Amino acid sequence: MTVKRWPRVLAHFFLIALAVVWLVPLVGMVFTSFRPYAETSIDGFFSWPDSMSFDNFRNAWDRGDMGQHFVVTIALVVPAVALTLLFSSMVAFAVSRFSWRFNIALLMLFTAGNLLPPQAIIQPLFQIYLRIPLPEIPFISNSGELRGSLIGLILINTAFQSGFCTFVLANYMKTLPKELNEAAMVDGASVWRQYWQIVMPLTRPALAALATLEFAWIYNDYFWAVALIQQGDDLPITSSLRNLSGEFFTDENVVAAGSLIVVLPTLIIYLILRRQFIGGLSLGGTKG
Amino acid sequence: MTTRKTEIGGYPSPAEWAKDLNRRTVLKGGVALAGLSAIGVSCGSDAATEFTGAIGDAGGALTIGSNASDPAPQAGLAAVVGSFPNENVEVTINTLDHNTYQENINAILQAGEDDVLAWFAGFRNKFFADQGLLGDISDVWDQVDGLGAGFLAASTATDGKQYFMPTSYYTWAVNYSKSLFAEKGYSEPSNVDELLSLADDMASDGITPFVFANDGQWPIMGTFDVLNMRINGYDFHIDLMGGNHEWTDERVRNVFSTWESLLPYHQTGANGRTWQEGAAALETGECGMYLLGTFAASASEALAADMDFFNFPEIDPAIGAGALDAPIDGFQMIAEPKNAAAAKELLLHMSTATAQDAYLSEDPSVVASNSGANTSVYNDLQKKSAALASSATGISQFLDRDTIPDFAGECGNMFAEFIEDPSKVDSLLSDLEEKKVAIFADYS
Repeated sequence: MTVKRWPRVLAHFFLIALAVVWLVPLVGMVFTSFRPYAETSIDGFFSWPDSMSFDNFRNAWDRGDMGQHFVVTIALVVPAVALTLLFSSMVAFAVSRFSWRFNIALLMLFTAGNLLPPQAIIQPLFQIYLRIPLPEIPFISNSGELRGSLIGLILINTAFQSGFCTFVLANYMKTLPKELNEAAMVDGASVWRQYWQIVMPLTRPALAALATLEFAWIYNDYFWAVALIQQGDDLPITSSLRNLSGEFFTDENVVAAGSLIVVLPTLIIYLILRRQFIGGLSLGGTKG
Repeated sequence: MTTRKTEIGGYPSPAEWAKDLNRRTVLKGGVALAGLSAIGVSCGSDAATEFTGAIGDAGGALTIGSNASDPAPQAGLAAVVGSFPNENVEVTINTLDHNTYQENINAILQAGEDDVLAWFAGFRNKFFADQGLLGDISDVWDQVDGLGAGFLAASTATDGKQYFMPTSYYTWAVNYSKSLFAEKGYSEPSNVDELLSLADDMASDGITPFVFANDGQWPIMGTFDVLNMRINGYDFHIDLMGGNHEWTDERVRNVFSTWESLLPYHQTGANGRTWQEGAAALETGECGMYLLGTFAASASEALAADMDFFNFPEIDPAIGAGALDAPIDGFQMIAEPKNAAAAKELLLHMSTATAQDAYLSEDPSVVASNSGANTSVYNDLQKKSAALASSATGISQFLDRDTIPDFAGECGNMFAEFIEDPSKVDSLLSDLEEKKVAIFADYS
């Protein structure tokens, strides 16, 4: 029996070590965010605290103008996630429910697009965006062109996230029995009705899982916003975090506090939707 | 109004896409249709549309692109705008953090949203002026009073016109803690032998003589700059930065030999240390001296109160110690601003002592460019900086501002590798020379 116990002890030892490696920087960040810079710079980050306060959080919120940037973020993430799910579910529906000559090719195109690094297309994209005018609407398109507008940011995030979502949704929809559609067709349901009233309600677990993931990904996007938005006030929260650094001096403790504020919404969403998140993904994997 | 048709009806032909659409026309059409008032287009008032040479004639909206994300400079710029006497101009400040701003300057220039942009004097300004991306402000310079010839030169591009308005600068020197020097009886060295014996004294007292921090690969460029200017002189340094000397030259090689001989006096592991950690080492007395810009004082209030500096001493008496890095900051105007008249009036205002006094009341870490600025409010570090710069025989802008940005990055890599392993210097220098030739060929 002792022979069998050792691997388990080892496995636990390994898991604990791994957990510590992951937790040390995180706990360090939380710990640092409560301490003044003057203290950690002289005593080091792993020292016993003399004073702890919420000053860094207040400072980060005010200096980073985070209220404003959270509003921009919501205005970006909500439509972007909704559009991504809408469009990719349509493509997924088409490639999974109808046999068409280019099914595989289309699915491959979407999946391959997902592998393209955003850096590769930023230069042409920037030039295209620069040449597409929009009416100047406050908040939505302050710049008067696709570049620098919230619409431009929503579009590129939707485009880039659609590949992955199409792939996942198509796989999920393939597991739904074909008979459902056939029965609906016999009853005279149109293609739109089959999509919207038969397949979409059944896809809800996968949609919920993807919505959680996509929320986190688009929320965490840094690259598109920094490259396409030139007005500091129009940046979403994640990319605006850099405004807490100065030309030379950066108060790292304030940055730690600001990062914690920024990470909170994704954490909360994950905790609330965790069951759907895990359930949805494993459901797709085991069926069929 | 053909573009208007393009916008409203259907898909434009590829030929129309390829054309740079007339944005203003499209905007007016779109905005009128949407029933919204146009923002920043024409105001329709009797405000002057061209710069008249005086402040007060322009009107309308004006946007400043700012890299002042630190609280003090941010408040400083707000104070400058607050002191702008023309109330018909509505000024908006668009702030991005310093690094993002710098990395995105090309996008910012192309976007054209900001009329006036915070930037750096000298090569970095000339670089964009020569590409036609900046607006000529020679007519503003005609009205300028109180800026010396050095500032004029640092604002003039290859075509002999001015494209920059310098507002402030700071100096690079050897910073130290006054209390440590008093406690140990150290004194400021006046030549390199005294510097070395001071370093020896520190070492025997158990203090590392020089802070050495190079996270980001820019801080130790300052060490190269000053050694090159002390050993080979200011003109050689500027020519080297301009790509006109070979890095395999014996004179450049000498700089690295001297640097190598000084390395044992420096902290080890510099490439992983931020300058802020370096400043902390100076504050705690772990190290005795720190070659850095006067912004070192911004790391902590305790250090600011206890900090002093001396000019890096002479190495070769024939060359002296008159040259130093003193980066000049200021503002430039984009090539096609939405409101040129207001932009020029603001730039003229920024050159004045009034505007600079307003700035310095919020940010006392720099020195005003205008000789009429109120120096009585300067702290000791500012007074010393001003004196040092005014007695300088040559002022460089710092390596990453004095040469092509891509090449500055290569220099940064090379210096970082050099301090890890100085024995590789010859192969590193010939690599750097090859990269220099390639990069300068791209930009010529």
